[in-house]
Amino acid sequence: MTIGSMLGDIVNSFFKRPATGRYPFVRTEAPEDLRGKVVWNPETCTGCGLCVKDCPSQALELFTLDKAAKRYVMLYHMDCCTYCAQCEVSCRSKSIYLTNDEWELASTSRTPFEVYYGREEDVQKVLEPEPQGEPDLSPESKTE
Amino acid sequence: MGAEKKPEKFVVSIGPQHPALKEPGHFEFAVEGEIVTSATARLGFVHRGMEKGTESRTWVQNLYLMERVCGICSAVHAMAYAQGVEKLAKVEVPPRARAIRQLIAELERIHSHLLWLGVAAHEGGFDTLFMLSWRDRETVMDLLEAITGNRVNYSANVLGGVKIDIDEVKSAAILKGMDFLEERTRHYMKVVTEDETFLGRTRKIGTMTLEQALRLGSVGPTGRASGVPYDVRVDAPYAAYQDFPVNIVTDTAGDLEARFVVRIKELYESYRVIRELVDHMPAGELTTRIPRRIQEGEVVSRVEAPRGELFYFLKSNGTDMPERIKVRTPSLCNWGSILATAVGHRLADMPMILAGIDPCFSCNDRMILVKRGNDQTVWTWEDLRRYGIEYYK
Repeated sequence: MTIGSMLGDIVNSFFKRPATGRYPFVRTEAPEDLRGKVVWNPETCTGCGLCVKDCPSQALELFTLDKAAKRYVMLYHMDCCTYCAQCEVSCRSKSIYLTNDEWELASTSRTPFEVYYGREEDVQKVLEPEPQGEPDLSPESKTE
Repeated sequence: MGAEKKPEKFVVSIGPQHPALKEPGHFEFAVEGEIVTSATARLGFVHRGMEKGTESRTWVQNLYLMERVCGICSAVHAMAYAQGVEKLAKVEVPPRARAIRQLIAELERIHSHLLWLGVAAHEGGFDTLFMLSWRDRETVMDLLEAITGNRVNYSANVLGGVKIDIDEVKSAAILKGMDFLEERTRHYMKVVTEDETFLGRTRKIGTMTLEQALRLGSVGPTGRASGVPYDVRVDAPYAAYQDFPVNIVTDTAGDLEARFVVRIKELYESYRVIRELVDHMPAGELTTRIPRRIQEGEVVSRVEAPRGELFYFLKSNGTDMPERIKVRTPSLCNWGSILATAVGHRLADMPMILAGIDPCFSCNDRMILVKRGNDQTVWTWEDLRRYGIEYYK
């Protein structure tokens, strides 16, 4: 039976730096396999829509502009994403993956959480559909 | 005032919001002076409707929903679910994937037990142990983040295998982390078994005999501290526990000190089996193909979560969505032991006795709808949601 068996730890701690990180001033290196922001590559995507179907938090939406020409636009809801990487596992053409460098994703407004991926002109088309535009871009038209 | 005097019990009511634990639960302790004469618990403040939610999601999506039943033991939930689905689909998982599953589960056990050590020490008023054990717990949290990519809900499992692989760099980091943690854990073992001020809060407090433990159906370290020789990892090996077995840790004292000792000895076992896993990791594939539509059938899947036996019942109707999923978490089995052991102790010991079972409130909340007569209607997710909103209005 002893008393003060952790006194040694307390005394040692006086001569050590705090265990907590000085985060905003010193940015620690993220691990190599960290799951950060989702990135989608429009060039290789086949439009199968498995990532949308398997996403547990409905964070992905795929708009099909022209199936034959393989023109798709991906809308990524970053605020819904749980970073589980199921989309990366489901993708057969390796078009969607999680980055390890973009992880400081906090924001004071919701706007930055809606990320559009795709060719610039295609994204424009999704954002501002022409009155007589052929593709129907309501969310129901997303690929099955 | 009243003419006649009835002998009245003084009831101390604690919760649902209370300073002792971080989750809501309501307790009523009848006291005579300082001594508790009876205890009751009321749960159900954090019911989330997850079992119902699974019925409108696909088998793949449910893996991530079930992982969020518990934030502390998320990997075992995903593992229990994935193993059940694989059993239903009659798919064999490659040995390497099974070994990695076990590795993640054991790392998670270390993080959970160290977390509990800190929380229990905090409830006992020993904040130095709390701070330092949580500082050391960061080692295993960082390891889990480096291996899986996430700090809390690791999402390492996928139906038919695992997503992540262990390379040499990660193996070296794990071994280094285990050496550091083992040294620290031996120190903590000394503290919780020798420090007089701490033993005053744990020795012969909340004692549960073997008969009581068996009668109340205690599971996990709580039961094993009373001598119940039951551990799913030993009695019904899953993952790679057949090839990398663990030794069952039991104690006979049954008091709070024994629960500390059992959990710390389990940490030693985890360090040992993790070293073995890293050194003899089987080679091979990480995943196997699994159909999206799971054939009709029912299955029971059990794993040993850090708190005890975790039970999953899965029923498939042949579609890509489950018909019924039932989860029974270990905390639910251990509530009875608190109510039984609380009697005869001082009110000040109640937080320690509560923390002694390592309770997880939000995991164990389930809802049962009692129907009168021959009512055949089945509630949908929307019905449940509407009921919840109305109830809390």
